[in-house]
Amino acid sequence: MQTFLQQLVNGVVLGATYGLVALGYTMVYGIVQLINFAHGEIYMLGGFGALFTYTVLLPGGTPVVLALVLMLLGGMVVSITAALLMERFAYRPLRGAPRLAPLITALGVSIFLQELVRNFYPAKSPRPFPQLVDPSHQFSLGASVEISAPRLLTVVVAVIGMVALSTFVRRSRTGRAMQATAQDPDTARLMGIDTDRIIVTAFVLGAALAAVSGLASGLQFGTVDPRMGFLTGVKAFTAAVLGGIGNISGAVLGGFTLGIVEVMATQYAPDPFSGGAWKDAWAFVVLILVLVFRPSGLLGERVAARA
Amino acid sequence: MSMLEVRDLRVAYGAIEAIKGISLDVDEGQVVTLIGTNGAGKTTTLRTVSGLLRPVSGEILFDGQRLDTVKAHEIVKQGIAHSPEGRRIFPLMTVEENLELGAYTRKGDSIAKDVGAVFDRFPRLLERRAQKAGTLSGGEQQMLAIGRALMSSPRLLMLDEPSMGLSPIMIQLIFETIAELKSTGTTILLVEQNASAALALADVGYVLETGRVVLSGPGKELLKDENVRKAYLGED
Amino acid sequence: MQAPRLVRVAAPLIIGALVLSACGSKSESGSGSGNITLTLGVIAPLSGDLSAVGNGIKNGVELAIKQANENKTIKGVTLKLDAEDDTAKAEVGAQVAAKLVADSSVIGVVGPLNSSVAKSTAPVLSQANIASISPSNSNVDLTNRGVLATGGTQTRPYKSYFRVCATDDIQGPFAADYAVKDLGKKTIAIVHDKKAYGQGLAEAFAKQAKADGATVLPTETINPGDKDFSAIVTKLKAAKPDFLFYGGEYPEASLLTKQMKAGGLNIPLMGGDGVDAAEYIKIAGASANGDLATALGAPTDSLASAKQFLTDYKAAAYADPADPYGAASYDAANAIIKALAKAVGDGKKSGQAVRDEVTKEVQDSDFEGVTGKISFDQFGDTNTKILTVYSVKDGKFVAAKSGTFGG
Repeated sequence: MQTFLQQLVNGVVLGATYGLVALGYTMVYGIVQLINFAHGEIYMLGGFGALFTYTVLLPGGTPVVLALVLMLLGGMVVSITAALLMERFAYRPLRGAPRLAPLITALGVSIFLQELVRNFYPAKSPRPFPQLVDPSHQFSLGASVEISAPRLLTVVVAVIGMVALSTFVRRSRTGRAMQATAQDPDTARLMGIDTDRIIVTAFVLGAALAAVSGLASGLQFGTVDPRMGFLTGVKAFTAAVLGGIGNISGAVLGGFTLGIVEVMATQYAPDPFSGGAWKDAWAFVVLILVLVFRPSGLLGERVAARA
Repeated sequence: MSMLEVRDLRVAYGAIEAIKGISLDVDEGQVVTLIGTNGAGKTTTLRTVSGLLRPVSGEILFDGQRLDTVKAHEIVKQGIAHSPEGRRIFPLMTVEENLELGAYTRKGDSIAKDVGAVFDRFPRLLERRAQKAGTLSGGEQQMLAIGRALMSSPRLLMLDEPSMGLSPIMIQLIFETIAELKSTGTTILLVEQNASAALALADVGYVLETGRVVLSGPGKELLKDENVRKAYLGED
Repeated sequence: MQAPRLVRVAAPLIIGALVLSACGSKSESGSGSGNITLTLGVIAPLSGDLSAVGNGIKNGVELAIKQANENKTIKGVTLKLDAEDDTAKAEVGAQVAAKLVADSSVIGVVGPLNSSVAKSTAPVLSQANIASISPSNSNVDLTNRGVLATGGTQTRPYKSYFRVCATDDIQGPFAADYAVKDLGKKTIAIVHDKKAYGQGLAEAFAKQAKADGATVLPTETINPGDKDFSAIVTKLKAAKPDFLFYGGEYPEASLLTKQMKAGGLNIPLMGGDGVDAAEYIKIAGASANGDLATALGAPTDSLASAKQFLTDYKAAAYADPADPYGAASYDAANAIIKALAKAVGDGKKSGQAVRDEVTKEVQDSDFEGVTGKISFDQFGDTNTKILTVYSVKDGKFVAAKSGTFGG
């Protein structure tokens, strides 16, 4: 039972990162039907932006909380700038082109950003990330179930990010405009909504959340790596599809589901299909089962046919 | 000077020309209707006026100002509301949220008052205010689409096929609403396949065929025109 | 159309003629002064992530050449260095190997650093029968040692390929002996990253650990690139192992040991030379203390025979350190220099004859180098298979034991 609960905690921590990154995929897909494969790199850039802020911009001895806030801002600036540039110069010129064109472009942007960072940080990868939140500080969650401070932080910031985004989209004027654009872009324009601006907003919000996640990941693992965006990006995209791509709550649910399935598969899947080697296989088994019975994902709603 | 002037408008989808030189005028306070069969170019005309499509040539003037280079989301602010063909309500949002989006370009307290005014006009919507719009019946969705268009306080209201696919009772209700709007002085550009009802209501009618205006005149006169009766009112 | 075709035919001819005349004039000028110049090549990563290690190789060779020229080890021959950057990529390695083959003055090559690069340079160099000696390739396939594990008959794939280092297949068993016999570990967890290197190492370790009497838990695997190993840690913790062997490289190993210790599983992690990196400690921090890694060869400063080498290396004031492979590269270069001296003594001074003779003499090498005795078996592997276990103490890898497997 302890093992089960500890694994559940492990799964929630893993899922928090997936969910937070998945939000970026799902928002952009929901609004422009673009699978922005370079979103994983936006997450990576958030981590590197935070690292750069810490190592280059912050004077030694900056109080930890202030350093964390500034690192988050630094990460966001880098992530958001990259997202704005890719939207403007890579994707916008292709709007209205066949769907394959922006998809291939997204892959190209992804490789471009990875190599850019690799060349910018030419030393050995991965790069050590400052351990500002002590990983040996453990919080007990009942009988020998524990979570370390940076892992708890990962979950807390992820939940804050998710709630903030969901509130923004449901309550704010711009959030409503995002929903309208997702459901029917032409009609949204008839309401006076500048859909170009809304698309940019979706990229910016996704990048901001990815930056949060990139910083949390750096603190949790103590490294950042130009390749870290690829695997997380694939998993987060899977989470978005699992939850119902385009659906914000779905991305969150999909993220946690995926994290927990991976962890439980590592622990409990029967031999010889157990262990870390099979966790991804099990994750995709779950994805396929969900899509067989609910083709639009766990929370995906089939948007009423457009006239 | 007319409120809306369309001069020699040509619009194409790729290589296919859908509108081959249309001119029409809408004066303040008038109800103007465009009738014609499918593919005559009625919807294309409205979509071009509201900026969703760009003309190949010709011009559109609103209060004497060029409209055909203005972006769609800016056109609403100038006072043109467009209730599109097929209603196009936002299905995953509530009735009330749909109405609020209609007032997206406006700011201030008067929005809530105008939501109330729409509910007064369509009590059915009040009952369903917190319901997802996608769950409404076709007639209710049409009420919502008209209500949403009114929320921008337009000077020109464009309605595209408001009676399409509705039950006779609902059609009657929709035309009563249009008549009511007319009586309060709202300027309306109405596209309809239900030619008799539309012409009965209209100050001016235009008959469109394959992208051209083939006939125009006061609604009542067109209603009496033999060719119109044969072609659009189903009389032999 | 006439002119372009002519140009197309003529251009290579002209270029070829220039190259030939250049080569010709070089050796002529050499013999003119009663002295010929021959070239010893180096193939190593001189730029990028591994450039520090690659430059250590180049420097070791340069030092050997300098001393040979000063001592006139080879009568009538001045030796020069041609160091080529393989950027740690197999395809670049093949190109620079071809370049060295095309230079008729090249009589031998030291390198490359990476086994993956060697797989593309060895065929090219062997075809020209140019002796190449790697200071560091540990992959078993290069000398076809892999078949030994399955009881097959070893045959030599590359006739002029040699190496002065031990191989992966004995790294795992060597580590297992240390863990079970020296440290007395009884319940051992095995994790690897499913890559050829990691899996091979882990399987060889597990086999020997079982033979030594330890209990080996079912193998866990991870994906290269994974960062969150909390699920594996929780699972392993329940089985209460007292030791963990990791087959793979430091990026994952450092995160695994950190998460292991944060998760309350306080046991040492041991890995192969893929874990023996300063970055491992940098990333894992205090969690790395007590962790172990094996590496090929012996630490240079522990060898009495290497004192002079280290002094000379220091005196030359190179920017990059001699370790890990500077000393082995120095020995490799000297093996070729000695072979060349014999070849020249036999009157073989140019062309294919000198290459053939150098390869033959390298095969028969038998001398005390700075890292130990330099001699090769019939497959090109060194007869001196020295390995070292390092353990992390106060943030540094410290040599714990050197030896040969089974000896």
